[in-house]
Amino acid sequence: MDKRIWAIGGGKGGTGKSFVAASLGLHLASLDREVVLVDADLGAPNLHTLLGIKASHPDLGDFLTNNVPSLEEAAVETPYRGLRIVKGSENILFIANLNHYKKLRLLRQLRQLKTQNVILDLGTGSSFNTLDFFLSANPGVVVATPEPTAIENTYLFLKSCIMRVLKLYMDHYKIQDLHQKMLDQIEKNSQSLYGFFKSLMENDRSYGTILYRALRAFRPCLVMNKTRDERDVLLGRSVADVARKYLLIDMKYLGAVPYDDDVHESLRGLKPFYLEHKDSAAARAIRQMSEELAYSIEFTLRTPPEIRLPDV
Amino acid sequence: MLKRIEDWNYYELLSVERTASQDEIWAAYQAALTTYRDGSLAVYGLVTEAERGLILERIQEAFQTLRDAKKRKDYDLALLRHAAYFPPKAPFRKSVGKVEIEDIPPKNTLWARLRRIFFRNP
Repeated sequence: MDKRIWAIGGGKGGTGKSFVAASLGLHLASLDREVVLVDADLGAPNLHTLLGIKASHPDLGDFLTNNVPSLEEAAVETPYRGLRIVKGSENILFIANLNHYKKLRLLRQLRQLKTQNVILDLGTGSSFNTLDFFLSANPGVVVATPEPTAIENTYLFLKSCIMRVLKLYMDHYKIQDLHQKMLDQIEKNSQSLYGFFKSLMENDRSYGTILYRALRAFRPCLVMNKTRDERDVLLGRSVADVARKYLLIDMKYLGAVPYDDDVHESLRGLKPFYLEHKDSAAARAIRQMSEELAYSIEFTLRTPPEIRLPDV
Repeated sequence: MLKRIEDWNYYELLSVERTASQDEIWAAYQAALTTYRDGSLAVYGLVTEAERGLILERIQEAFQTLRDAKKRKDYDLALLRHAAYFPPKAPFRKSVGKVEIEDIPPKNTLWARLRRIFFRNP
């Protein structure tokens, strides 16, 4: 069976990316699956804290500085059966500025991990490293909250992903001159992506088709976290619809995770919320979401094409 | 399927199948109204006020057409004339050239009737 790499990302901090990643990992492990959680939030790692584990070595920093030979050895056991974690490094500063070769090595080793399920917890923002990790997953999950700031950043994150996908394909097909044109054009308004493709199709249909297919193969999922009422739940569906119409991407809405005060309490007690409150509405939502992700035939059949990173 | 929002047909606009029932259309219409209503969070930071107004107008137009059986039939026929439509859940496609061949009743022309009289297995 294929290896499943899920990346949990998003544009804004504090939306609950690490919470969703930790809960998904714990849920899959409770189903007797082997899971490796990777804290790829290079700037501010804290996934281990959500699982109630103290920072220790080896961690991702040890792998990136060649203290351990492979990522497999940096994946340490947790108190939870079937679940391993590659902890983020808190000791090595400026590790977030990964160079190209280290990034490629990490991406390659992620695919070589001896486990069926890999969950990447990504950092905030739209740096190239974060975007490349997000795009390497199948599928990438965007976590948003029902607030204007989070929605705004979600669209920005999706736009950045789109630009990155198109840039990678342009580099691969040696049509870099289109890139500047795209940058100039796409920033204009919401319909500009359509405008760019339209003019590209008119001028050079073959490249237009390639890039459009690349765009359609980018199929992220959306999770609306910390929802308080039905309106918030419906907002997720609306965001997916707007992304489909204006950003031309096929976005799937996985569902909403209701707001729960106990998350805060669990975090203070350094205990994983998912195991402490298995019957809560939030835990139920996580289970449903994981099933959507795991058993969706659509996603296993229609895997996106391998993205080749540009050589520097 | 690279289209401007103005060129999306009513079904695409409401994100429903062409075989959608009246209840499904009603639900999709309500969802679309929620998405594009004034002050909606879903369009925050991406869609301008003018664009929002435009799409809302199109959604109203789509609902007014699809809720009325006669108008919907005329619209469907117009769409079919433009391009053949195959329901996405169909197990296989019988023909590429003809539209929904299984729905077309057998022709009752004079030749067909004569053929039935003279040949046992036409």
